Amino acid sequence: MLLGQVPEAVVWAIYFAPVASTLLITAGLIARRLFGFAFHDAWAGRLTILAIFISFLAALWALDSSIGADGEALGFEPHLWLNLFDLHIEMGVRIDGLSAIMAVVVTSVSLLVQIYSVGYMHGDSGYARYFAFMSLFTAAMLGLVLASSLLQLFVHWELVGLASYLLIGFWFHRPSAAAAAKKAFIVTRFGDFAFLLAVLLIFGKTGTFDIHEINELALAGALSSSVLVGFTLGLLSGAIGKSAQFPLHIWLPDAMEGPTPVSALIHAATMVVAGVYLIARMFPSFEAAPAEVLDLVAYVGGFTALLAAVLGLVQTDIKRVLAYSTISQIGYMVLALGVLGYVAAIFHLFTHAFFKALLFLGSGSVNHATHTFDMRRMGGLRSYMPITYVTFVIGALSLSGVFPLAGFWSKDEILLDAWKYDKLLFVIGVIVAFMTALYMFRAIFMTFWGEYRGGEEPEAGHDDFSTHPHESPPSMAFPLMILAVPAVLAGLFALGSDFTHLIEGSLPAELRHGKPSIEGIVVAASLVAALAGIGVAAAVYLYRNPASEAVAARLGPLPGIVERKYYLDFLAETVVVRWILNAGLQRIADLFDRYVVDAIVNGIGTATRLAGDGLRRAEAGYVQAYTSLFFIGIVIAVVVVALLGTDVVSR
Amino acid sequence: MLSVFVFLPAVGALLIATLPRHRTADARWIALFFSAITFILGIVIFARLDHAAEGYQLVDHFEWIRAGDTGFAVQYVLGVDGLSAPLVLLTGLLGLASVLVSWRIELRVKEYFAWLLLLETSVAGVFTSLDLIQFFFFWELELLPMYMLISIWGSGRPRYSAMKFLLFTMAGSALMLAGFLVLGLQAGTFDIAALTANPPAEALVPLSIVFWLIIAAFLVKLPVFPVHTWLPDAHTDAPTAVSVMLAGVLLKMGGYGILRIVLPILPGEAQDFRVILAAIAAFSVIYGAILTLQQRDLKRLVAYSSVSHMGYVLLGVSAMGAAGLSGAALQMFSHGVITGLLFIVVGVMYDRTHTRQISDMSGLLHQMPLLGLVAIIAGFAALGLPALSGFVAEFAVFAGSLQAHPAATIISVFGVVLAAGYILWAVQRVFTGPADERWSGLGDATEWYELAAMAAMLVFIIGVGVYPRLLTDVVELGIEPIALIVQAAA
Repeated sequence: MLLGQVPEAVVWAIYFAPVASTLLITAGLIARRLFGFAFHDAWAGRLTILAIFISFLAALWALDSSIGADGEALGFEPHLWLNLFDLHIEMGVRIDGLSAIMAVVVTSVSLLVQIYSVGYMHGDSGYARYFAFMSLFTAAMLGLVLASSLLQLFVHWELVGLASYLLIGFWFHRPSAAAAAKKAFIVTRFGDFAFLLAVLLIFGKTGTFDIHEINELALAGALSSSVLVGFTLGLLSGAIGKSAQFPLHIWLPDAMEGPTPVSALIHAATMVVAGVYLIARMFPSFEAAPAEVLDLVAYVGGFTALLAAVLGLVQTDIKRVLAYSTISQIGYMVLALGVLGYVAAIFHLFTHAFFKALLFLGSGSVNHATHTFDMRRMGGLRSYMPITYVTFVIGALSLSGVFPLAGFWSKDEILLDAWKYDKLLFVIGVIVAFMTALYMFRAIFMTFWGEYRGGEEPEAGHDDFSTHPHESPPSMAFPLMILAVPAVLAGLFALGSDFTHLIEGSLPAELRHGKPSIEGIVVAASLVAALAGIGVAAAVYLYRNPASEAVAARLGPLPGIVERKYYLDFLAETVVVRWILNAGLQRIADLFDRYVVDAIVNGIGTATRLAGDGLRRAEAGYVQAYTSLFFIGIVIAVVVVALLGTDVVSR
Repeated sequence: MLSVFVFLPAVGALLIATLPRHRTADARWIALFFSAITFILGIVIFARLDHAAEGYQLVDHFEWIRAGDTGFAVQYVLGVDGLSAPLVLLTGLLGLASVLVSWRIELRVKEYFAWLLLLETSVAGVFTSLDLIQFFFFWELELLPMYMLISIWGSGRPRYSAMKFLLFTMAGSALMLAGFLVLGLQAGTFDIAALTANPPAEALVPLSIVFWLIIAAFLVKLPVFPVHTWLPDAHTDAPTAVSVMLAGVLLKMGGYGILRIVLPILPGEAQDFRVILAAIAAFSVIYGAILTLQQRDLKRLVAYSSVSHMGYVLLGVSAMGAAGLSGAALQMFSHGVITGLLFIVVGVMYDRTHTRQISDMSGLLHQMPLLGLVAIIAGFAALGLPALSGFVAEFAVFAGSLQAHPAATIISVFGVVLAAGYILWAVQRVFTGPADERWSGLGDATEWYELAAMAAMLVFIIGVGVYPRLLTDVVELGIEPIALIVQAAA
């Protein structure tokens, strides 16, 4: 501990600094639009970077205090937000090992991504709007991380969804981007629906939203197992939506329509791991629930990891390779949680944030040079873009789990936990490790090796186009180099037990397991898998080994099914939305409303009119006349009754 | 002060009606002046509500016919409490907004603004009347300006829609009047406070029939399935300002009536039929949302979404507990500002594009970034995004109803997924996509009256969303006595 205990105001500043930059940029943009106020685009970028830098420093201080407290929660009192009878809702900040690490991950990656964005988004007509949304996202994400109550977490959970929607659809003139934004929000909302029910359920049973209190009550056995099952399954559903796990993963690949720094920050390093964070945050409740719940968590994660890794193999768009890789790696983290690998999951979240952000920013740098994400149009870029190339390879090695890079250590811890818990999950983990190395090096060989295949024309309004790709400007190259450092070194935290100690500090003492002991076979399997993956990738994609085509031919219809994403998008978009909802339910409801409900009403109207035809001559047909007659009638009735007394009626 | 609040718009209406022909243009300014003062009064009434006091406040009272002679009094009595104060504020806000969005009306300007102001008076009267007969008077008074405004200044099939609106409401109110008379004659008073304190234990006809007689009128007004079909027609054909008033405050008369009259006076019957009410509510939420997905006309889309959203009000009521009832009251306010704003947005767009067909529009964000921003905020508020007012209200409803009606609540919560579907689908179709040649000359919403109306609504949507205690402390004050009565009857 280098500094004194962090004051609560400083912790709040982590959250409010980007809130302030969001508001300032929005106000500036509106004032510019309405009053011609001279709000320069460049200010938006600077404000955002400044705000997030402040958050970063404050988060470091919080981490420092958290280390001093052995990862246990610092005692901050929550504040009343809403008090409506029993509905007593408080908002507070909770700093413990888990949230402090997350806050540092979010602020540091966000800071580098914003610096990178200054170069990447240069000259875009929505430059200032972009930074307003990025500030909004960072604020919401930090609100989610620091939340001390489950409702507060849910509120920010939805707000990061909003920011994600706005940023995926940032280039709203592209129909594909607008559609992807909508899809992301709606698909995740299915998970949020269950999450909301879980929040309501647990509040109904415990009368509190406080995360710590709920976990304590769950551990103390104060909640019936059916309540705990409902609660944790609701949370798991929320996590499946937000963290793009099967079957709600279908939104994430489409979300790559957003600007690449957005993919790096939101759809790789931070927001999509919010589901992992949620399960970790509520981990005592999961442990208190019947064991089948955690088994389900583990198998959802393992299945997703495998499914997405296969999809990663057949993509031709470099960002989609990374997107499926992200789904797969988050599956790894979810698997880890399911096998009680609480620390391993968070450790992998931590290392993954850096190397995956690095890879995404690298793909953005490639796109900056070639104006395409299609790897079939790239090739040979290593000689044109040495910084991008070297850092990308570092990220890929780390992701593949090659010793001694960061990814090796965190992946190894997950495999160790899986080995102890369930051998089948361990095998799945090793297969995924092999495939991860395979698809990553396939991407590297397609992108950086061989001959340059020409790229694409830039979209109007972007940078000038030169026939030769070139290295990106320093504002983009610098974050790549910085991110390469933790991608290599972050694994060193695994050497001592400090990291484990810090993360486990946020759990109640009886749930802490300490570090798993090393198993030689696990380490060996993981290393062999990674190296084999790289080797196969080189054989197939670099040296074009003819055996590979023979293998591909033997697979029959399988590659086709994989290329069509197992028909899951078809199932969701065509079968469920178009056939069942649009053509089925909506159509039926519409016909019912028009030809049954409304027809009955109109029928009554017609019948009344026919009956009234005889009386018509007595009336002029004016509504005014009807209404006044009506009033006169009422007055007469009242007066008559008043004069004669109530007896008349009650008799 | 309450009498001034209620009748000030009517005074403005009279003044406009007596304007000489050559001063017709002044009608706008007079309407603006009177509705602005009314809004300010509404804020003052809301802010000055004493949070420590019990019962009705700021009561204005005199008797037309004294009780001594006849057995019951025919009286004039106005008052507010925590239930009506937010609706008083809402009436002032939307009254002002509806004048602002009518700024470009050119047809029969004098009459238009006179009717609009009279409408405000009648709604304000409903929310503050503490006597059943007087309540009924204002309830019926609202029909006249509504009929005129829709049939003269409407579009499409205005006469059909106006008549449909009129017939539905009158059918309901005839039943309501019968119910009121039974109650009042039995108890010897039409005073709501007295009836609440000593509700009749039996009457001429079984109280359960009285319950359905009265609540029928309110369910039509909310509206819920199966008595909702007047709403889309009335909305689609009404001018913008009338849609704003209709969705914003007129629908709330239904929810208000249930909370003010049905629950306190007939709590036992309400408890008996709670399951039926919950079923109607859940069905309306989902049915309304599915129909909303089907709409191709922006205004009909917003109108059908109201059927879905007002289902939440009934769901909160059917839970018969403090949290659910508060949620219902919050949802009424919140839906009022959110849907009011959505109708303003549609109106502003219609002024420029002269179409409401979603298929005609695309990429409007290129021409109208500011209006698009407002539309997106209003849209996300409608789909229940936290930090905007709709979330607090819906959350309170769900928190209140989950224990009482688990199945109905789970079904209703699914409404938020469907809401995301129709809102985001509409935003995508209307605002995103490449810039459309056809709309290249379109201007953004930059007129002062449009901006003022939208900004006023946004202040409340965001203010209540971020800091709900602005509203909830007052609502709690109003709901508490009702919740006690209802729970005692369980």
